[in-house]
Amino acid sequence: MAVYRRGYDRYQGPITGRLSRLLVLPKYSWHRVLQQRLVVSLLVGAMFYPLGCIGFVYLSNHTELLLNFDSGFKEFLQIDGNFFLIFMNVQGVFAIILTIVSGRNLIAPDLSNGALQLYFSRPLSRAEYVLARLLVLLGLLSLITWIPGVLIFSLQSGMAGWSWFAQNWNLGLGVFIGSMLWILLISLIALTCWAYIRRKIMAEASILGVFFVLNAVARIFNDVLGVTWASFFNPRQVIDRIWNGLLGITPESGPTVLGCWVAVVVMTAVLLMVLRRKLRPVEVIS
Amino acid sequence: MHTTPIIELQDLRVRLGRREILQGISCRLGASGTGKAIGLLGPNGAGKSTLILTLLGFHKISAGSARVLGLDCLSHSREIKARIGYMPENEAFIADMTAVHFLRIMGELSGLPHRIALEKAHEVLFHVGLGEARYRTLGTYSLGMKQMAKLAQSILHGPELLILDEPTNGLDPAARLRMLKLIREMKEEHNMNVVLCSHLLRDVEEVCDEVIILNEGRLVHQANLEEERHTNRRFIELEVTGDDGELADALQEQGAEGVNEGGGRWRIVFPPGMELDVLWQLVARQNLAIHHLTHRRDSLEEIFLKAVGHLERSEKSTPELPEKETIDGRL
Repeated sequence: MAVYRRGYDRYQGPITGRLSRLLVLPKYSWHRVLQQRLVVSLLVGAMFYPLGCIGFVYLSNHTELLLNFDSGFKEFLQIDGNFFLIFMNVQGVFAIILTIVSGRNLIAPDLSNGALQLYFSRPLSRAEYVLARLLVLLGLLSLITWIPGVLIFSLQSGMAGWSWFAQNWNLGLGVFIGSMLWILLISLIALTCWAYIRRKIMAEASILGVFFVLNAVARIFNDVLGVTWASFFNPRQVIDRIWNGLLGITPESGPTVLGCWVAVVVMTAVLLMVLRRKLRPVEVIS
Repeated sequence: MHTTPIIELQDLRVRLGRREILQGISCRLGASGTGKAIGLLGPNGAGKSTLILTLLGFHKISAGSARVLGLDCLSHSREIKARIGYMPENEAFIADMTAVHFLRIMGELSGLPHRIALEKAHEVLFHVGLGEARYRTLGTYSLGMKQMAKLAQSILHGPELLILDEPTNGLDPAARLRMLKLIREMKEEHNMNVVLCSHLLRDVEEVCDEVIILNEGRLVHQANLEEERHTNRRFIELEVTGDDGELADALQEQGAEGVNEGGGRWRIVFPPGMELDVLWQLVARQNLAIHHLTHRRDSLEEIFLKAVGHLERSEKSTPELPEKETIDGRL
């Protein structure tokens, strides 16, 4: 019978599980995000560098194709920690831009018209709501960060053989962990900015500010005062040091890798606390 | 037979900041699965919305306990939320989303399988009168349509308990009647329990079977409206023409009390069990002609005003009123 001819009938059938309910928000958000042309364009654009990397890996494993090139160039074609560090840096910048473009409709619409109280009057906790929103960005950013990174690593392992894999397995793990850490940090920073700043343009400027302006400010502080601790307030530099550590690269002088891990943990905790404070079903004015 | 109350509060206290908004409320309301409606009344700032939000787990309980459908609000918040539907007082929607899409998400979040959620979204939107507008974005809806959309999302998943916070706010008379009809239908035809929070006494009177009245964070009156109506039916106002000199004695013989106010006007109090037929017969035997007869009953407005006024008087006369009297406050 057509829906419009039916009366209301109270649903008393089976209900879905907790995981299924948790994935409802990401499912619809991915659908909405992927309807934006700019997001799709950025996703496509972010694939060019990984494609170049695949070509690079192929060439480095087929040096017979480079007979006319000198030995210096052949040495340049090394697949090592530096190769993956550059890959992660390039894709990391794309990740920031993609976060800004795709995430603008994640939290702000829920806050602006009070939809949060409808979410939280259902079996969905605040932690699950944040996790659901993080999953949206995690899914999207994974497509341009660790997934191509691990694919490139697998390709290289396949071409170079078991011995290369046994010596460099930490690179694959480093790409995965480092990318996940970066995704977590930029997602939390972005969600916090959108939760607190109502005007989209201002929120987006703030996100850029955290990554680029703060980077410059921290460096100026370090140079002028002759210290290294200002780097702990700079997410990009902190993550860069951690990536260096994960990929086995000896970094330039600066804060220790352990200190950077602590800084990331503290940043994450503070951002989660701030988000939790803002994402309440009702405002309490006491 | 043991029945689980819909709401059970035990010395419930809720503090927001430095203010104690709910100051020790105790009551047992309704019986789950009976399709009864509970009215939550009180002047502005009485703590009605705070009570609702506490039941939903949005506010922390500072002392005492609250149970909904037999489940503790603190430890079983998730189970409670799975069994209730909530319509908030304020705006609650995503402006650039179509109604059907929004409801589908809400349905799936409540645990409906995705295909059923879509089907239910269409079905409920037609049922509340938004069928033609279901593909419009919610931001373009009028206030009345938004209210209906809020009701739709609250009943979509077929909850056992429907909590409605000021559902008729901002509705024109026709829309108000439609909203009340839908609420009555939910409890009478679909056996849902309803908690209706409103400052509009007529709405509560039309829909609810039980009512509690809050004032300044305390429960000042709890009444079963059905019983009140039945009780008040015993008060009769009568106006007759003819010689009514012996009517008082005749009434007394039947156990009723009659007060002649002059000019043929009488106020009569029936004893329990006495029906109107007896009065008709008495009047006929006295050869009196009835001009006017009313079953005088206290309206909810009178009950409400008495309840709120009662507390004020009690506080002025006996500052340290026994707690039982303040809480139960039966008039």
